[in-house]
Amino acid sequence: MITTRTGTDTLRTTDASSADADAVDAALAASGDPHAFERLYRRHVNRVHNLVRRMLGEDAEDVTQEVLVRAWQKIGTFRGEAAFGTWLHRLAVNLVLNRRTSRSRFRRLFVEEPETGLEPPARPASPAHGLDFETAMARLSPGARQVFVLHDVEGYRHEEIAGMLGINVGTSKSQLHYARMALRKTLG
Amino acid sequence: MHPLPEELSEYLDGELPPERAGRLERHVAECRDCAALLEELRRVVLRAQALDDRPPRHDLWPGVAAAIGTPVRGVRRVSLPLPALIAAGALLMLGSVGLTLLWQRERPATATVAAAPATPVLVSQAASPSELGYAGAVRGLERELERNRDRLDTLTVRILEEKLALIDRAIGEAERALAADPADGYLSGHLTRTRMRKLDLLRRAAVLAHAES
Repeated sequence: MITTRTGTDTLRTTDASSADADAVDAALAASGDPHAFERLYRRHVNRVHNLVRRMLGEDAEDVTQEVLVRAWQKIGTFRGEAAFGTWLHRLAVNLVLNRRTSRSRFRRLFVEEPETGLEPPARPASPAHGLDFETAMARLSPGARQVFVLHDVEGYRHEEIAGMLGINVGTSKSQLHYARMALRKTLG
Repeated sequence: MHPLPEELSEYLDGELPPERAGRLERHVAECRDCAALLEELRRVVLRAQALDDRPPRHDLWPGVAAAIGTPVRGVRRVSLPLPALIAAGALLMLGSVGLTLLWQRERPATATVAAAPATPVLVSQAASPSELGYAGAVRGLERELERNRDRLDTLTVRILEEKLALIDRAIGEAERALAADPADGYLSGHLTRTRMRKLDLLRRAAVLAHAES
């Protein structure tokens, strides 16, 4: 049984010294110090970028930049109850999900493209054999991909994912299983 | 009878009730297909946990800096009220303390010199320059606050005093615990964070009083 990472308290943990440096720099940045914020940027940009890229399934540098600008704007609300990395991570997830919602609304209003949401997606058009694992992840349906990234890559629990995505826990579990079934072929 | 497909994932995640987990284990022990599928799913989970983070194709800081109105290089004068500057200075000192502690903690494992025993924790020693810096920043903020104290309304002052008393109590407890266990990294971090909370509270109060003056 694999139980190595479950829950946000074990989300890709950072060491204590890094967390202390984050807390100091976050306080300085909240006072308006851009150099402290740049240090935070340097320590966290890769993780944010990879989270955003995997959740969107595409290159995500603009969105990563947007997350970091938003973090600067909101850093005064960071109170240090959680690690800065966890706070930033959640900000990134929320922004990605808000973009998804906005895009869905736009499509419904102007493009009339049916929004499939989190319904069980069709199988990938091309066989997954031989695909790079990350490429195969990007080919999952948006719903399955987001659940897979949040659960298996980032360590969120189904209850948390269900809350974030506005779905029920059972749907989160079935999306996750679907994603794993699709991805297992890449490791064959 | 084969388990439901999703039960395999739930089993991997430790979310299957014990009775169903036991039934699944007995089945998998006898069913090669289900055992193979379970192993494949397990490999997917392990692969997901081992993904490497790739850096962005180019440095995003120039774009971020432009969006937040900060020059990428060169010095920008930051206009902060005096209390904020004092607090920022103190926080920088605390940051250097944290780095020093980290260096001291790591040093015994990497140093080739048979040095004196590590003395990793700030508060167990006589007051260091960094500690004096923290204390000085607190005093500076307290003086600043005292100067404009009568500008704050009674309720604000009362809440402020209550919060400071709570924080001071927490700092005292952390210092005593750390004195008893100087190598405890959690306590060290907790003390740093609690001191930062005090500085932050004093800074906010001083800024507020300053603004009212």
